[in-house]
Amino acid sequence: MADFMSEVARLDEETLKQIDRIQKEVAESCEFIGDQEDIDILTKQYLQDDEVYQAKISDLKRKYKKLRRTRGDGNCFFRAFGYAYLEKQLEEKTDLDRFKSAVIQCRSSLLSMGYPSFTLEDFHDTFIDIVESVNKASTSSAELLQTFRDQGLSDYCVCYLRIITSGYLQSNAEFYSSFMDGYSTIKEYCSTEVEPMYKEADHIHISALTSALGVSVGVVYMDRGEGLEVNEHVFPEGSDPMIHLLYRPGHYDILYK
Amino acid sequence: MATPTDQGALLLKRQLMDLQKTPVEGFSAGLIDDDDIFSWEVMIMGPPDTFYEGGFFKAHLLFPKEYPQKPPKMKFVSELWHPNIDKNGDVCISILHDPGEDKWGYERPEERWLPIHTVETIIMSVISMLADPNDESPANVDAGKDWRNDYNGAFKKKVMKCVRKSQDCL
Repeated sequence: MADFMSEVARLDEETLKQIDRIQKEVAESCEFIGDQEDIDILTKQYLQDDEVYQAKISDLKRKYKKLRRTRGDGNCFFRAFGYAYLEKQLEEKTDLDRFKSAVIQCRSSLLSMGYPSFTLEDFHDTFIDIVESVNKASTSSAELLQTFRDQGLSDYCVCYLRIITSGYLQSNAEFYSSFMDGYSTIKEYCSTEVEPMYKEADHIHISALTSALGVSVGVVYMDRGEGLEVNEHVFPEGSDPMIHLLYRPGHYDILYK
Repeated sequence: MATPTDQGALLLKRQLMDLQKTPVEGFSAGLIDDDDIFSWEVMIMGPPDTFYEGGFFKAHLLFPKEYPQKPPKMKFVSELWHPNIDKNGDVCISILHDPGEDKWGYERPEERWLPIHTVETIIMSVISMLADPNDESPANVDAGKDWRNDYNGAFKKKVMKCVRKSQDCL
């Protein structure tokens, strides 16, 4: 038994090491938030005779001009959401006060749910500092990009957006519980699928985060699904998207008109 | 601009100051070396109404540079007889493991590491583990057997010995 357990432990160590190596490779191949690029770069990523994707890319090019790639580390939706929204507000500054109060509202609600104030306040303060920096005329887009490329700050934003998502799901458990296949409680779903870093986001996460912060997001789906056009789904439904993301199975990038 | 390790270091610094200003019942915390905020030494009091009561157990908490995204490792420096503490003192508790690690696949997911955990929530989990071992995954198989089969005999005796030793070390 003991030998078997130590063999299992050894194999786990190997697997963890391998995961580490893969994560490092991913990290080296792409910044957390990349530079703005022409949509054309996607054309080269797929085979020329891949009709479905080439047709969808042509359609995407008709609707959007640029794209910003994000690192595929499982946090891409949260990072893309945070960056794209703040980048937009850097130009407009029209929604920041409302956004800030929404974030403060989320903090109060999380504290009342019993989240440890120590870490929560730390994530909150760091995030609010970044939001406030966007409100200043002196902050450049290069600085915002630098913030989101700094692992400490960038991961803090992801962390906090995850907890906000989790809090919203728990406050609206009645509505969301029917989507939680395989989980007995919403709390269990959140601590397994939402709060841990590197866990990929799906519809539930997007619906919760966009509702919690009142930020409308259009997600453009590009996959092997039927049709030769890309479909955009807006969260929350019926709203007017402030930012647009490109979804390809397992990954989100930022799109620009 | 902050370097990647700054957030974790700042968070640890604030927690240390806070714990020293307003201590929490059941444990005290400090640094192993004043220049290294990532290596903590904690003194845990044996929880009341357990065989560990009266003991003062010293442990080290070693935080990775990725903290709080990744959990610290915890190791008891004081000798401690417990099913979930291996013979080197390493604490095997699921809250200190990432959600993805298969070794702990059968445990309840809400007990895994999350960035929201603080030193206080970690130590509280360890104190409750002392009082209430997880019988399913004994890191110290012999302690696990004692706990299950001879709780008031061999188990009690070995724990009491650790308690006395810890008192002598004060």
